[in-house]
Amino acid sequence: MELARAFSTMAADLPAIFSMIVVSVVGLVMLTVAAFRSDHPSIPWLGVAGMVVASAWELFQLGTEPGTAFFGAIRVGGYAAFINLLVLLAGIATTILSVPYLHRLKHDYGEVYALLMYATVGMILLGSSNSMVSIFVGLETMSVCLYVLAGLIREDEGAVEAALKYFLLGAFSTGFFLYGIALMYGATGTMYLPAMAQADLATAGGTLLFWAGVALFLIGFLFKVSAAPFHMWTPDVYQGSPTPLTGYMSTASKAAAFGSLILVLYYALPAERWTLVLAVVAVITMVVGNVMALSQANVKRMLAYSSIAHAGYILVALAAGTEAAFAGALFYLLVYTVMNIGAFGVMALLEWDGREGRVQTLDSLAGIGTDRPVLGVTMVVFMFSLTGFPPFGGFFGKYAVFAPAVDAGLTWLVLIGVLMSAVSGYYYLRVVYVFWMQDRDDVVDARQASLGGLPPVSRTSQGVLVVCAVGLVAMAFFSGGLIEAATGFFDASAMAAAGGGG
Amino acid sequence: MLLALLFSIGWALAAPLLVRAAGRAAGWVLALGPAALFAGFLAAGGTVGPEASIRETAAWVPTLGVEASFVLDGLSLLFALLVTGLGAVIAVYAGSYLHGHRDLGRFYLLFFAFLSAMLGVVLADNLILLFIFWEGTSLCSYLLVGFKHESTPARTSALQALLVTGAGGLALLAGFLLLGIAGGSFELSVLMERGAAIRSHDLYLPAFLLIALGAFTKSAQVPFHFWLPNAMAAPTPVSAYLHSATMVKAGIYLLARTDPILGGTGLWTWTLAAAGAATMLVGAVGALRHTDLKKVLAYSTITALGTLVVLLGLSYGASIKAAIVFLLVHALYKSALFLVAGSIDHETGTRNVLHLGGLRRAMPLTAAAAVLAGLSMAGLPPLFGFVGKELAYKAKLGVENLGWLLPTIAVTANALTVAAAGILVARPFFGRRRTPDGSQVHEAPLGMWVGPVVIGLVGLAFGLVPGLLYAPVSAAVDAVAGEPVDINLALWYGVNTALYLSLATVALGVAAFAGWTPIRYALLRLRRLSRAGPERAYEAGLDGLFRLAAWQTRFFEGGSVRSYLAATFGVIALAVGGTLLLRGGVSLQPAVLLDGLQALPYETGLVAIVGAAALVAARLRSMLLSITSLGVVGLGLALLFVMMSAPDLAMTQFLVEVLIVVIALGVMQALPLAREVEPRGRRGRDAVLAVAVGATVSMLLLAVLRLPFDATVPQYFLEESVPGGFGRNVVNVILVDFRALDTLGEIAVLAVAAVGAFVVLKLGRPARSRLGPPPVPSVVLRAGARLLLALLVVTSLFMLWRGHNEPGGGFIGGLFAASAVVLYLMAFRQARTERLLRVPPRSALGVGLAVAVGSGLVGVALAGAPFLTGQWVAVGTLKLGTPLLFDVGVFLVVVGFTLTIVLSLERVVAGPPQPPQQPLASPEAAAADRQPARLNGGTTEPAEV
Repeated sequence: MELARAFSTMAADLPAIFSMIVVSVVGLVMLTVAAFRSDHPSIPWLGVAGMVVASAWELFQLGTEPGTAFFGAIRVGGYAAFINLLVLLAGIATTILSVPYLHRLKHDYGEVYALLMYATVGMILLGSSNSMVSIFVGLETMSVCLYVLAGLIREDEGAVEAALKYFLLGAFSTGFFLYGIALMYGATGTMYLPAMAQADLATAGGTLLFWAGVALFLIGFLFKVSAAPFHMWTPDVYQGSPTPLTGYMSTASKAAAFGSLILVLYYALPAERWTLVLAVVAVITMVVGNVMALSQANVKRMLAYSSIAHAGYILVALAAGTEAAFAGALFYLLVYTVMNIGAFGVMALLEWDGREGRVQTLDSLAGIGTDRPVLGVTMVVFMFSLTGFPPFGGFFGKYAVFAPAVDAGLTWLVLIGVLMSAVSGYYYLRVVYVFWMQDRDDVVDARQASLGGLPPVSRTSQGVLVVCAVGLVAMAFFSGGLIEAATGFFDASAMAAAGGGG
Repeated sequence: MLLALLFSIGWALAAPLLVRAAGRAAGWVLALGPAALFAGFLAAGGTVGPEASIRETAAWVPTLGVEASFVLDGLSLLFALLVTGLGAVIAVYAGSYLHGHRDLGRFYLLFFAFLSAMLGVVLADNLILLFIFWEGTSLCSYLLVGFKHESTPARTSALQALLVTGAGGLALLAGFLLLGIAGGSFELSVLMERGAAIRSHDLYLPAFLLIALGAFTKSAQVPFHFWLPNAMAAPTPVSAYLHSATMVKAGIYLLARTDPILGGTGLWTWTLAAAGAATMLVGAVGALRHTDLKKVLAYSTITALGTLVVLLGLSYGASIKAAIVFLLVHALYKSALFLVAGSIDHETGTRNVLHLGGLRRAMPLTAAAAVLAGLSMAGLPPLFGFVGKELAYKAKLGVENLGWLLPTIAVTANALTVAAAGILVARPFFGRRRTPDGSQVHEAPLGMWVGPVVIGLVGLAFGLVPGLLYAPVSAAVDAVAGEPVDINLALWYGVNTALYLSLATVALGVAAFAGWTPIRYALLRLRRLSRAGPERAYEAGLDGLFRLAAWQTRFFEGGSVRSYLAATFGVIALAVGGTLLLRGGVSLQPAVLLDGLQALPYETGLVAIVGAAALVAARLRSMLLSITSLGVVGLGLALLFVMMSAPDLAMTQFLVEVLIVVIALGVMQALPLAREVEPRGRRGRDAVLAVAVGATVSMLLLAVLRLPFDATVPQYFLEESVPGGFGRNVVNVILVDFRALDTLGEIAVLAVAAVGAFVVLKLGRPARSRLGPPPVPSVVLRAGARLLLALLVVTSLFMLWRGHNEPGGGFIGGLFAASAVVLYLMAFRQARTERLLRVPPRSALGVGLAVAVGSGLVGVALAGAPFLTGQWVAVGTLKLGTPLLFDVGVFLVVVGFTLTIVLSLERVVAGPPQPPQQPLASPEAAAADRQPARLNGGTTEPAEV
């Protein structure tokens, strides 16, 4: 074969993983710099620059025709670009928010930021996978990095415990996941999602094999998106991990995992069999997340349960299983990522050191809005948006998820979802209430906090939070275009589906 | 209309700046905005006839049916005028009332934001848009009610109001969605034409109930009325605006708006009439129980809202007319009275009528406004209130099958309202002069009396010349009825039944006012009854929710990883196992199983050994022995693989197992040697779970094995292995050639895992070994290790080389090499091992990955084949190719991975060569004692492919 064709093959395949290449290579550079001076201040900004380049690339890819590369293992264009962009933006925001936080804790090693980059690579791979193997590789790359990041602060017993729990439970779920993939492969003879749907199950007698495989596979996925009853690791891990990284775990990893799950549901599994299962999981998840969030005194823990609840809302759309519902779920992921990164970001900037270590009790933040108005106002936006109050993005997200579910005949499920949103109002608004309407002098914890001295607030971090908050308001105005674009991914990628697979 | 809304929102955003710029005159300046809007709507009103409405629309979220569409017809015009007109008056008032408050800018921002939301509610044509503004009003009211955030009651009641109306709002959204499905559109103007079809639709009942729930919570209908009196903790201008004329009327607006769509059915009439009538009575009685001016006002507002709901429920021409007129009447007198109450509070420092009296001389202008409003409230001619009440009586009398019931309730409630008017106006302004501290009281400042006086005069004008209102009222009535309705408005309709009822009302009311004190005491004694009221239910519900949450947390989130695992396993056993048993057609046939076992005696024996070892591992207290037993389990499995003719798998399993045992034993130096004994009950639970999960997996496997096996995939690889991959070891050919891309991904995961472990262990402090300083290894071990090192390294290279045709390969070879170094490490400790290696093992990760990627690029560069396509050259009979190079990469990564982890662990566990004595316990000791052998479980799986 001649050289021209060689370059054309490469040229066809390499852009598909361009952002992965950029992020990995920059990660390697960061490791190299860290080898000379571990806390070199330029390391995180190298990472940010790399991810900015990658997201510019993905932004450019958003409008392109979807297709596949590497023998149908990787998806490119529209859908994949959307998920990748989401992951990259979360990565950028997290890196910037982590800089002052880790610096204050004296954990600003370069390797940490490099790990963040590798986790991002895993998520990008996960979000653009078109075959079971690349899904697994992406999932593991992401998880391994997250296990480490969760236990970063080794001096804190809670963090170590959290990391260990995460790792142990995660390893089990990976086992189920792998077992499931193996069974599905055995039943269909292919690893590629579109081909899996076309495989003739009936003749081979492989239905039981296939469905047992799907069950195990779903358990693995539900674990990763912390859907009940596989959610138990979430509160411990989110509470113990460094706060900006918790925001990252709760958003980017979920966006990638949900993005991949949607592709599997859309391409590989016929919807009707899974509606009831996913609906039941969605109900349990919403109830567990919302009700348990009510009794939390620790904000990070509360946000952990809230993120479980939000996974439940997304599962409502997945249960509906229509293209409009999947598009709604995509839009929800976008909104959710912005508001949750913001909420954790605010908490990261407000963490203070008490006698028992890092303190994040809600009570200790009484009246903080007056002292830190920027943080206070942005937190109000995040909380209102998480509750789903219009005119913030959160409302449009919920609407985009619930309306197609009603159309799909899941009214009962949506009613439960709406009821649970009402419950969620209580704990989100309590934060607003404490931030703005309580007086520091009335609360013992808060007095101690003010004595201990709140950490100085970094301007760049505040800038990220303001961007998130403004974005949530702007989403109200652009939700129409965004949702339409998300719906477009499915129309176009449905056409590309025939071409994919190997 | 969009323009009006944008202007209003802009005004809200500019408010803080304007406050700063305007200084003392802030109220007057800020009132210009709503005043301009009022004038604009008034001008637009000329074009809105009974038939004509203005509609504007813009796309917003078309895929979900959300459009920014607005409509201005009679009903929305009336409300828009109320919202903006009263908004202007109250903006002036608030400027005086809150003069000098440090957060005045914030107050106006929220105030105008609320005004915008309220305008949006009444102008929206799209249901979802309406809902958005609806929740906007709840949100702004939350922040406004809580504005006086120094006081705890203000905060609690703000939250209560928000939760009640917010929950109702969500019900409303659900109702709107159903209505949209039933009617096929989210546009009110479209739905109105499809009213008949919607009323006979299956979804009519749930849609109506949900929408009514939303309206009732917002408009404080029984049993959701309790939030309104509690919300009186808000600053008075807020109450005057939100709780008299605007927010609480949003529910009324919604009912009026949906009347042509949902109204007219028996369900509609009975639901609204029953709720409204109950609300009228509860409000009227409640008003007499209180002495706080604002509480009295709140309860009398509840009465008025009940009246409106009843009138809308009747849903015919006369009742709609009465509703519209009464709505105006109430908005005017109630806002004036709220403002008056605020002025009294401002000047005297109290709102308790028992401490007030004879203020008319000190505050003549305020008193005049109060009298005008009070007379209107009592429904006396020639004020506008009289017109409203007459129309309401007539409407209620016009209903045939309700007979006397409604008029009786109405008379009772209205009589009590007359008494309430007396409490609000006669008590503080007339009689003996009384102030809380006997001090001199002054008239309220200009900004605070002008508003109530203007509103009072407007009420008087409308009473004298009701014809002024003909055009707007008739347009509004037409909009609600959905068809043109003939109306006439007059102060005096002649002597009729309604007039007699009015007379009776006034007489009864005066009597009740005269006997207020004994009535109040009687009502106070009855307060116990209200303990069982809806507010208690709300509190108990909230309480219960918290208790449920706390219980759930205790039950599910003990923090123990064991119970998490137990729950996960339980779900899997139930869900997967249960489904298999119930649906999968799996039946247990022990006889068949026994036959099978007899046919395979060696395997059976091996399985028995493995099972016994697993039991021992679970039962032993000594951690070291447990780990060793687990090693036996793993080695037993490796032997099983040998018997099943899977040498590659067996070798990998064998080596991984050995390495895991060695690593786990190394870690054990820093961990407690004996583990805690669990209570019997928990051990029982764990045993049951273990058996259940084990049985599920076995069942699954057995079921799978019974299926006819589709052999195309293995057949393909068996056939293609030699011609396509030039190798006889199919497993290896798949790994390095056919599926090399997957393998590349997996070794990348290995590399990342190694870096992760390295980072974690590097950050940690060395833990103190519990076994004391490591003993000097025996000479035999050292001598043997040297020998074995060489032997094993040679073996590993051999394995790597022959892997393509015989059992072996990069994974296995890498594990051999790593074992060799680990053995050396055990004999010579860390420092000498590192010296032996010369380079840090993690460099092997990078080199290995680079070699693997490079081998893939060879094909691209030479032959233009896709990435990782194998390229071969023949050297004599020997075939050499890039897949072999790829296998070298795998080999290097595996070696690098294992050694990075082992050496990093060694550094932590054994400490640096001369460990400084640090009195530290390993923090993960407590959590890790259960599953040490699994420490590598997640990352070694790729090796078992």
